[in-house]
Amino acid sequence: MSDDKNTSNAIPAAATPEPFSPVILRHIHEEGSHTLAHYLARGGYETAKSKMGTDPQAIVQTVIDSGLRGRGGAGFPTGKKWSFLAKGTGKPIYLAVNGDESEPGTFKDRHILEKDPHQLLEGVILTSYAIGSHHAFIYLRGEFILGYERLQQAVDEAMAKGFIGKKIFGGDFDLTVTVVRGAGAYICGEETGMLSSIEGGRGYPKIKPPFPAVSGAFGCPTIVNNVETIAAVTHIVKHGAAWHKQWGTEMSPGFKIFCLSGHVNKPGVYEVPLGIPLTEMIEVYGGGMRGGVKLKAVIPGGLSAPVLTAAQVADVTLDYESLAKAGSMLGSGGITVLDENVDMISAIYNTMRFYHHESCGQCTPCREGTGWLEKLAHRFHHDEGREGEVDLLGDVAKNMRGRTICVLADAAAMPMQSYLQHFRADFEARVKAASWKERTRSYKDEITPKAKASAKVRTENP
Amino acid sequence: MKTLSSTRLEKAEAYLTEYPTKRSALLMVLRLIEEEFGHIDDEGMAIAADLCEVTTAHVQGMVTFYTHYKRPYHGKHRFMVCATLMCALDGNTDEALSAIKAKLGIGPGEKTTDGLFSCEKVECLADCDRAPVVQKDNEHFCSMKGEKLEGYIDGLLQSEGKSAADYKNEGPVRMDSRVQTLPVHFNFDGENTRGARRLDDKDPYLPPRNTTEKPRG
Repeated sequence: MSDDKNTSNAIPAAATPEPFSPVILRHIHEEGSHTLAHYLARGGYETAKSKMGTDPQAIVQTVIDSGLRGRGGAGFPTGKKWSFLAKGTGKPIYLAVNGDESEPGTFKDRHILEKDPHQLLEGVILTSYAIGSHHAFIYLRGEFILGYERLQQAVDEAMAKGFIGKKIFGGDFDLTVTVVRGAGAYICGEETGMLSSIEGGRGYPKIKPPFPAVSGAFGCPTIVNNVETIAAVTHIVKHGAAWHKQWGTEMSPGFKIFCLSGHVNKPGVYEVPLGIPLTEMIEVYGGGMRGGVKLKAVIPGGLSAPVLTAAQVADVTLDYESLAKAGSMLGSGGITVLDENVDMISAIYNTMRFYHHESCGQCTPCREGTGWLEKLAHRFHHDEGREGEVDLLGDVAKNMRGRTICVLADAAAMPMQSYLQHFRADFEARVKAASWKERTRSYKDEITPKAKASAKVRTENP
Repeated sequence: MKTLSSTRLEKAEAYLTEYPTKRSALLMVLRLIEEEFGHIDDEGMAIAADLCEVTTAHVQGMVTFYTHYKRPYHGKHRFMVCATLMCALDGNTDEALSAIKAKLGIGPGEKTTDGLFSCEKVECLADCDRAPVVQKDNEHFCSMKGEKLEGYIDGLLQSEGKSAADYKNEGPVRMDSRVQTLPVHFNFDGENTRGARRLDDKDPYLPPRNTTEKPRG
């Protein structure tokens, strides 16, 4: 981390920042914002055109200086990632843009792909030029139907204009852009899982190292970036590093799109400077709690982020460091607000079911661990929890972390651990409820016709 | 023996040359097969295997790993209802499912006896601010519950020359139990109905307890 500090200090932030207005999402509400004509009318592709023939390293340096951090979840400095690219291997270099966006609670890339795909393409051109890649893949999840159509249309339009293809902008740089449509797998949002999928296999993550920058898609050096990161590159190259650094905090400069869902009055996507208080996001942008119900918890960075309690929410600001300090993470920026009426056991059961379903099955701690957590949570959800199982949940979660190829096991264990930490009483209440249910069950089974009827259906139709 | 139409075959050839290896075009070739035949069955898999020069076993591995491909056991109209936390809050998922159940008589994991409609719970469809999210094949709908969903199903029924009454007395058929989007025990009523969970809620999916069995623990 000390290296990041040095690089991001190279260019000081402007003393008085301009008032922020959305950058990436600025035009999404305009009619026809996804078309080439609309994009060209607002100065589109000018930056890419002007950078052709210049020193690619200058673009990399601008992105390093801007302090841009990956928007997909991990928050790794983008420019630094580019500089890790293996050089002189004689192999082609690939750019893979991650538009899988499978983290529940996140829906920012959908808006970029459906409403402004050309700014993404310009970012792809700039990034490819900077890293010397002649083939870029944009991987979309299979469920993005409109997004795929619009992006493919954008690629075709740009190709017809000569912005991508052979000798782009009349220069001597060739670039092929391939849009890959996935088919429904959370794990393909993991960078190496996505590369496996692009290679035409099941989305199995690969062990790191070697990192994709050394050996990625088809065994060649590959840079993997999120859709939002690449869209931000377009604007950073256009306006410069200092422009980007005027917003945000020292360690988390710039702006980010947050996806607000759950019990707020105005859920949706909001692009804001990093470092604003989480309460401001909920109260000002989200329009406050729906129905004025008291806040119970916030999941700040997609479903895998550890949950924050109402007490913690007051002190947290939306940047990578503040959330890490609070024991959670900024992740992909998917903020889910839960009000007082939410049953946290039900919520964690749903969460665990998700991870059990989406585990790819390569590593035993994840394949079995997510199953264990889901089954145990299922039991608590139905008041069937037993003495000692609250500790067992924590034990299983602890033993899943850091023992697998990718971070899906951690993504499943982290919310479980945080729920146990903050809502342990809820779990324990279900143990007591279980013993109550145990005592009354035989009586209820006898007198409830519905239970009997469902038992009959089950045996007939296994 | 099925074959791809010439336009789709051309498109497939274009994919095969655009991608660095033939195998890597498989995801997109499978989409073409899905488009052509409506779903991916064994013959479709064999065509994809031939085109991409991989084994049919590999193709089968792909179509069973990825959940979004349409398989023969799905209905002609395939409803996918998001059941992940953000949609399930406030019982939105349940509302969508019960609307489908009321009109077509099918719950998650089931299809109608005539094979026209099927319903399943799926995981996050990435439009969490407008719950519940429902997809019908290649159509995407937000805030899809109540009248909006019912009206849509009515339109579908009309286009098929059916009415909701046709499905009133028919029992649903369970889809292939080996390959299913979410296992059977995931499908139960009352999940996350906001604050409505009561201690006497019954779980119809737990096996009936032998009354002579000693209490556990």
